[in-house]
Amino acid sequence: MIHDMIVIEKMGKPGVAIVSGRFDSDAVASSRAFGMPDLQWIVVPHIYRNLDPETCRTQTEDAIDELIGTLTASIDARTPDAETENNSRYEGSDRYDAILKMNQEFINDDLGDGLFLHPATPEAVAEMLTGTNLPPDHAVCDMPPGFGIATVEKIAVNAVMAGAKPEHLPVVIAAVKALSKIGGQGGKSLLMSTSPQAPLLIVNGPVTKNLGLNARSALGPGRDNQVNTIIGRAFALCFRNIGHWYPNKMDMDTIGTSRKFIQCIAENEDASPWDPFHVDQGFKANESTVSVFVTDGELDIQDQGNHTAEGLLKNLAYGSIFGTRSLQGEKGGVERLILMPPDVARPVGSQGFSKQAAKEFIHEHARGSLGKMIQYMPLKGEARVTEHWKWLENLSEQQLLDISIPVLDSPDDCYIMVVGADRAKTAVFPSGPAPVTEGIDQYMP
Amino acid sequence: MHLLEVKNPVAQQRGVISAFSASDRPDTLDNKTVGLIWSGTHGGDIALKRAGEMLQERFENVSVNFYTGGNYPTPPAIVQQAGEECDVIVGATAD
Repeated sequence: MIHDMIVIEKMGKPGVAIVSGRFDSDAVASSRAFGMPDLQWIVVPHIYRNLDPETCRTQTEDAIDELIGTLTASIDARTPDAETENNSRYEGSDRYDAILKMNQEFINDDLGDGLFLHPATPEAVAEMLTGTNLPPDHAVCDMPPGFGIATVEKIAVNAVMAGAKPEHLPVVIAAVKALSKIGGQGGKSLLMSTSPQAPLLIVNGPVTKNLGLNARSALGPGRDNQVNTIIGRAFALCFRNIGHWYPNKMDMDTIGTSRKFIQCIAENEDASPWDPFHVDQGFKANESTVSVFVTDGELDIQDQGNHTAEGLLKNLAYGSIFGTRSLQGEKGGVERLILMPPDVARPVGSQGFSKQAAKEFIHEHARGSLGKMIQYMPLKGEARVTEHWKWLENLSEQQLLDISIPVLDSPDDCYIMVVGADRAKTAVFPSGPAPVTEGIDQYMP
Repeated sequence: MHLLEVKNPVAQQRGVISAFSASDRPDTLDNKTVGLIWSGTHGGDIALKRAGEMLQERFENVSVNFYTGGNYPTPPAIVQQAGEECDVIVGATAD
C-alpha cells in the first residue's frame, strides 16, 4: 500500500495510507525504499485483518482528525538520510576491547545478527576484495527489499563481518545478484511478509569442493558446516545491511524462523543419479552456480522401510501435502523444494525414474483436501477470491473438504536437489517464487 | 590504548538518492473526490468506508470512489485510474 500511495503522489495527488500497529517502522523503511521519504501516513493501534467490524470502524473514527490533517496540511520534509560512507572508530584498552565496543554499537544499531561480528577494517576489506575480479565501486545490483545499492565493497564489508574468506566472496556476490532477480514486485514484497519467508542458498559445480561446502548433513551447525554457515551468514548480513532487511522495518515476520540465519549448502552431485540442479537450469556441469530459493517452512519426511521407487515417492508426495492454497487465480501458486537424500534418490533413479518423471509422480500423488487448504481464509467477503473460484462460496464445509486437488499446479513447481547423508529422510520446504540460479565463475579473480 | 577503524556495512538506498517530494495538499476537501484503495485484507474495507463516510460528514459535497485489485500491491491500472479520477486517495495497509 505504501508503494501504491507513492504512485499516487507521483501523479501529483495526495495519497495517505492508514497503517496498522507495528507497521509504522515498515512504512518509514518502505517509503525510503520506494523513493518518497516524505510520504504521509497515519497509524491506528491494531492490524485490521482479524478485528471485528465494530472495532475496525471505531479505531478509524479515532484517527479521522489526523487523516484530514495529512490530506490538507502542508508537508514537512522528513529527516535526511543517515550517513553510509564514513568509517567508524572505536577506542579500547586493547584491540579486543575495541572490537567488543564495536560489536556492542553494531548490535545496538541492529547491523548484525546477534552473534559476534568480525571487524571490517580497511585492511581486512582490501584483502577480501582480492577474492573477485570486480572493482570495489562496481554496483552489482539494487538489493531488495530495501533496494540498497550493492557495491562490491559493501558486499565485501559484510562478508568480512561474517568471518568469510576472499575465496568465498564470488559466491556471496552471485547470491546477492540472484536475490535481486527473484520474482516480480510481488516476489520481492514476500521478503517483507509477516510470514517466515527466508532465502536458502544451494551451490552447484566445482566450487563446492574447492571451498569445502558440505553436501551431506548440510543444514546444521558444527565443523563440517563451517563454510556453509559462514557464506550463508555473509549473505544474510548483506541482506540486512544492503537490502535493509531489518526486523520490524522491512522484515515484518510475526514469529520469525531460524532459517533467517541463512544457510548455504551444496548439492550432493556425486550421490545423485541425475544431472545436477544447475544443469537443469541451463548451466554446464563444470560451471559453478548458486541458486536462491525463498522457503516458507521445513518438514522432515521420514521413510521407515520403503525400497521401491513408487513406495518412496508416494511417501514423499503424501508428506508434501500441507499448507495453504491461493484462490487469486486458476494457479495455486504453491511450490516445493525437496532436499532428497541419496538413500531415496538412488533407488528412485536406478528403478527407471528420471528426475522429471519423479517430479511428475510427486505431482500426481500429492493431492489433498481443498477445504483444508483454504481454511485459512474465510470465503465470504474476501476480495482475493477471484471469479474462477466464486462457485466455492455456495458449497458446504463438508463439500469443500471432500474436493481433492493437487497441491502443486504442475510438476515443474517441484524442485529436487540431492542433499544429505545416508538415510531416507527427505526435507521438504514450501517455497516460492521460483528460484534464481546465478553463475559464480564470472565473479572470480 | 587501541584505535579500531571499521568500514560502514550499510548501503545507500536507491530510493533515497532519487527521492520524490510529496505533492501539494488542498486547503479543504470541500467539493473533492476522495478515492479509497483497498488491499483486499479483511477489515480494511470497513475502515476505508468509515473514513469515507466521515470525510463526507466533515466536508461539503465530497464524492467517494472505492477501488480494489483484490491484493497488494494494487494492479497498476487500478492505481492509475484512482489517481486520474480522484483529488486525494486514502489506502489501508495491514499485512
